[in-house]
Amino acid sequence: MFVFRNYTIENLFSNDTRFSGYDDVSYIPTDERELVWLYFAPVNFDVESKIAQIDSWRHSLSLVVNALNTEQTLYICTLIDTFAVTLVDTNRGVETAIANFNTYVSDLAAVNSQIKLIDIADYFCQYPRLELTNWRFYFISQMIISPAVAIGFSDWFMLRKSQINGSRKKCIVLDLDNTLWGGVVGEDGIDGIKIGGDYPGNVYLYFQQALISLTQTGVIIAVCSKNNEADILEVWDKNPFVRLNKQYISAYRINWNNKADNIREIAAELNIGLDSMVFIDDNPTERELVRQQLPMVAVPEFPKKPYGLMELYALIVAKFFRTTTLTVEDLGKTEQYRANAQRKAVSKQFTDLSEYIRNLEIKINITPANSFNIPRIAQMTQKTNQFNLTTRRYSEADINSFINSGHQVICVSVSDRFGDNGITAAAIIKQSGDTAHIDSFLLSCRILGKNIETAILNTILNDYFDKGITKITAEYIQTAKNAQVADFYDRHGFTVKNETDNSKLYCVELKETRIIDSGYTIIRN
Amino acid sequence: MDKKILEIMQRVFQLPDLTVECSQANCEKWDSLHHLNLIVELEDEFDTEFEPEEIAEMKSFEAIKSTIQSHM
Repeated sequence: MFVFRNYTIENLFSNDTRFSGYDDVSYIPTDERELVWLYFAPVNFDVESKIAQIDSWRHSLSLVVNALNTEQTLYICTLIDTFAVTLVDTNRGVETAIANFNTYVSDLAAVNSQIKLIDIADYFCQYPRLELTNWRFYFISQMIISPAVAIGFSDWFMLRKSQINGSRKKCIVLDLDNTLWGGVVGEDGIDGIKIGGDYPGNVYLYFQQALISLTQTGVIIAVCSKNNEADILEVWDKNPFVRLNKQYISAYRINWNNKADNIREIAAELNIGLDSMVFIDDNPTERELVRQQLPMVAVPEFPKKPYGLMELYALIVAKFFRTTTLTVEDLGKTEQYRANAQRKAVSKQFTDLSEYIRNLEIKINITPANSFNIPRIAQMTQKTNQFNLTTRRYSEADINSFINSGHQVICVSVSDRFGDNGITAAAIIKQSGDTAHIDSFLLSCRILGKNIETAILNTILNDYFDKGITKITAEYIQTAKNAQVADFYDRHGFTVKNETDNSKLYCVELKETRIIDSGYTIIRN
Repeated sequence: MDKKILEIMQRVFQLPDLTVECSQANCEKWDSLHHLNLIVELEDEFDTEFEPEEIAEMKSFEAIKSTIQSHM
């Protein structure tokens, strides 16, 4: 890691970190994959010159941004003023300059996937401003952050970094009575429950609105409640104060069955892993049951009083749902999962799978990786567990470096008459001489169960066959989660060349074009 | 006290064989950053704060020892 800085901040990072000169962007390393920009507002008593200095950093920063190569990631920290002594309350020049700088960097991060924003105010707000700097050390060495404050920063920073690059939960499963509203529908009736109006109904209304805002960032909402389904459908239909209704709910189980079983069913219906779910229930017995039977589901404690729901919301966002930028898929996700539920409904009416598939009008769109889809491809390699032949986790920088080395990175999006599933499959193929090796092949579980994987694989193989490359090798590496693809290559005409306890190396010699079921339309870009 | 000072110096400089002969002049790792780390650790261990003038002088085992003694 290499850090651009304007003060002595070595005490904020681990020993192996490299640093720029003070306020110096003349050297920008090309051999470091992770660059960090961490400047602090200057201690400067001349307001005009302080503002000019802050403004000038946009220019310095743009030099760094323009010099980035495709394998580098730049983490830009927001700017804070560690020593703000206000002389005139109505002069907001410095605050405005800092706010402008921070807007500038968030705009950069929103449009450039190689730039990630880290809001360091989240860390430093734990301390009173006057304790941020230990002036003894500042005047000896330009050290801007006191050792006592710096002590936890490195761990915090690494955690934020891994959160940015990693696993966000996908789904929140909610109980209803005394969780989304006060009271019990079965006893208080559909208009007797407490929602909206005075305390505590107003808290539940806030909580519902907060949860709805999650869906706008791609989080899926499911409901698991012990109730009569008809009563709840009536509540959703008729109680105007219940905002979180069917429109936002992608799947629900309203019955008297064991909640752990219900959650398992919801996970299967939505085609997501149990470890990507968060369960919220006011009943400690239900929470304990789910914790014991489904330890991979996150089960936060529930507040003792209704007004504690605001803190619960803040906690689940910070812990499970925060993300730096949204991908196009995130924005459309709730829509996609709901369309999937409709697909399942269609599936029940057909007995013959191929007739069902034809009826879905599936279009498979195969595109080489480009700057728009690389973030999503990297995200998929990080998150996909079940249908993932090798489970190699790659960053955007890794993907870029494959492309630069001439490897083929293929991105597949799938749509049908119910909607666009977005980018849901990817393959990385390394070609050397007359052999192509499938390094990675993975599919989102959203599209499983329709033999789409076969159509994609065969399309890729046909493309190589047409190019005259007939020798294809591939791998399966076993993990705790990918048993369902253990025989994927066996089922597709590959033979095992080499086998160890947890991996298999395959080979196939292509002799003819493989037939792709006419139910799929293949589109190439 | 000698032992504690020595342990801290050995840890900060990551030199397990460091002896009481050590000074900034004869220790390659003793740069300004390590110096600050050393001061922070010493302040913590001996529950005191050194003045900038003292910090500037504390550049050998002996000098560190006598400064700490003057604080007791």
